[in-house]
Amino acid sequence: MQVGFQGNTKNTVFDPDPRAKLAMLLAVNIIMISGGSAGVELVLRIICAALPFVLLVSVRHYRTAVIYLAAMGAAVFGESCILPHTSGIAGILVLIPCGILTRFMAGYMMCWYTVRSISVSEFVTAMEKMHVPYFITIPMSVMFRYFPTLGEEYHAVSDAMKMRQIGRTVKDPLTYIEYVLVPIMMSTVRIADELSAASLTKGLSAGGRRTHICEIKLTLADLFIIAGSAVMIVLFFVY
Amino acid sequence: MIVFDNVSFEYTAVNADGITEYKNGINGLDLTVRDGEFVVLTGSSGCGKTTVTRLINGLIPHYYSGKLEGSVTIDGKSVPDTPIYETAKKVGSVFQDPRSQFFNVNTTDEIAFAAENRCIPPERIKSLIDSTAAEMQLAHLLDRSIFGLSGGEKQLVACAGINVLSPDIIVLDEPSSNLDSGAVEKLKAVLGAWKSQGKTIIIAEHRLYFLRDLADRMLIFENGRVVRELDSAAVSALSYAETDSLGIRPMSLSDIPQCSRLNNRRAEVISFENFCFTYKDGKHGINIPKLELPAGGIVAVIGKNGAGKSTLARNICGLEKKCRGVMTLDGKPLNAKQRLNNCYMIMQDVNHQLFTESVRDEVMLSMTDKTVTDDVKSAKADEILLQLDLARFADTHPMALSGGQKQRTAIASGIASDKSVIIFDEPTSGLDLAHMKQVAAEITKLHEMGKTILIVTHDLEFIMACCDHVLMLEQGSVVRNYPLTAETSGMLKSFFMNA
Repeated sequence: MQVGFQGNTKNTVFDPDPRAKLAMLLAVNIIMISGGSAGVELVLRIICAALPFVLLVSVRHYRTAVIYLAAMGAAVFGESCILPHTSGIAGILVLIPCGILTRFMAGYMMCWYTVRSISVSEFVTAMEKMHVPYFITIPMSVMFRYFPTLGEEYHAVSDAMKMRQIGRTVKDPLTYIEYVLVPIMMSTVRIADELSAASLTKGLSAGGRRTHICEIKLTLADLFIIAGSAVMIVLFFVY
Repeated sequence: MIVFDNVSFEYTAVNADGITEYKNGINGLDLTVRDGEFVVLTGSSGCGKTTVTRLINGLIPHYYSGKLEGSVTIDGKSVPDTPIYETAKKVGSVFQDPRSQFFNVNTTDEIAFAAENRCIPPERIKSLIDSTAAEMQLAHLLDRSIFGLSGGEKQLVACAGINVLSPDIIVLDEPSSNLDSGAVEKLKAVLGAWKSQGKTIIIAEHRLYFLRDLADRMLIFENGRVVRELDSAAVSALSYAETDSLGIRPMSLSDIPQCSRLNNRRAEVISFENFCFTYKDGKHGINIPKLELPAGGIVAVIGKNGAGKSTLARNICGLEKKCRGVMTLDGKPLNAKQRLNNCYMIMQDVNHQLFTESVRDEVMLSMTDKTVTDDVKSAKADEILLQLDLARFADTHPMALSGGQKQRTAIASGIASDKSVIIFDEPTSGLDLAHMKQVAAEITKLHEMGKTILIVTHDLEFIMACCDHVLMLEQGSVVRNYPLTAETSGMLKSFFMNA
């Protein structure tokens, strides 16, 4: 499966505006990272834990969604049912993995969903509508555009390592990391260089307002999502 | 009209010792390209033809820095003194590597990209895209992820992005390097359409046969100077012997002669059984129940993009664990995991397989036998480097080498690993004649060492220069498997010419 800005929108059931997605991303990350589990916070955390599942289903990544739900369920179960009955080392062994999962997994899955479901041009358009300047938008979009390329390069390098039985002979992890990183960096630097040159010949640096063939518009549902995210964040900080 | 008046340019480069150097540009070029002219620039690597394209689209001096003298003007306007986005309105550019010229991931967004930068209203862009798609017959390529396209399809999308804006001048820098013969024909059709619309086209290329009917003028470069200038009649009259002596690729595929090679064939075969493999998408893969190839042969693996050539190569190497196929070599059956120890692949982008800090270390890394001491390994490495003309570079960092030297370093590692099957993935894509011949000579050396060699390639001239067997794939299956002789070379040529 390819990570990075998605190629097309054919498989999407419900596609919120990029700004609504960013609002949800913010809310989920802020709320899930803190560990409170009482009263209003508990309700907020349950909503935020469920959001990535719903959104993953909406882009038809059923398998990922189910795995996410199972892992989250197991972590919550561990934290609330197993942890009280353990102590000492056993307690730490349960606490650390479960704690990390419950705090970070929802945020991570939201990130994954957001990056995967926004196209490069939607992102540029949305940022422009929020009056974010180009010198922030363009490098960021190039960075996201880069993830799938990095994936391709990594696969090629790891194939080459398998073929030369590197990994079996290299015991030192630092050397191993060097062997992976050096070829990837060399080729990504070259690709980035050529990509910049190609973008310039297409008039990217022209200045002025670009036009956009992709239409993004805040619908009622999007406004509701943004308002809901804002309310959740406010509630979270007040209580 | 494009006018170069006594133009010299040298790139600024910092060498390994941190000293600034100037190198590889053009030298005192005078050139006038009339409106509507189709000019082909050719010559060996580093001869200055790419530099000319960059001077026209303004990447020199606006992106690549160096020492520039003389003047470059388009319709009287100086390119170096015009901002690059102004030049971009007049000049469209297509580049060599389809992987690195797309800003967007979605094809439709990419085709619209240049138009969006020009602030054209969205409705107008959409109608332009629709008419371009109809004109170039690429409606099926719209709204796709570029990561799912073949090299040829990517190059078509790049051309479509230019077609939308329809600039007067189009420069192309080795656009056919990564294309198969079918995709080259499509590129030729696009270029022909542009020519008939009266566009000025400047194309830097090694592969020339598809430009024979299109070129109004061909310039052959050497060390930054034009050494030969041919008009369209002279271009189409060039025979194989003439292009060969000029050091350029042939103008026609039909008159490429086959190198007379001693067919010192061994009697043994390598057999493959049950090579069936499907990618996750369920569409692409290979299905080869039984196949026999000559041991010690030089086998060309041909077929269209997506026919399964690379997939077969990966499966033979043992890179796909799920492949159940068994390869029998010297009477020993080998499964996927065992094949990893017996096969070695030289990848198309050799940068992916060079890991260490010096060429000698690189070769020694492949010697995995733990009972041998480092001194012995080092001596053996030097011996291999000597054979491949790399002894001078033993202590050089592999990334500081030229493309051909890197490839030879990868070959040296393959020899050091003592594996008996060596696979090349497109070893000559984007190579000039001299370098192609050099690769052919290296492969012949490997052959003399008794290695079995498989070469995935689109390069007919290269096959004729060194291969002795042909394996042709179509939709994942073997359709032809024959020794390459004087009698069968016609069959091989017809595949490339009727694409």
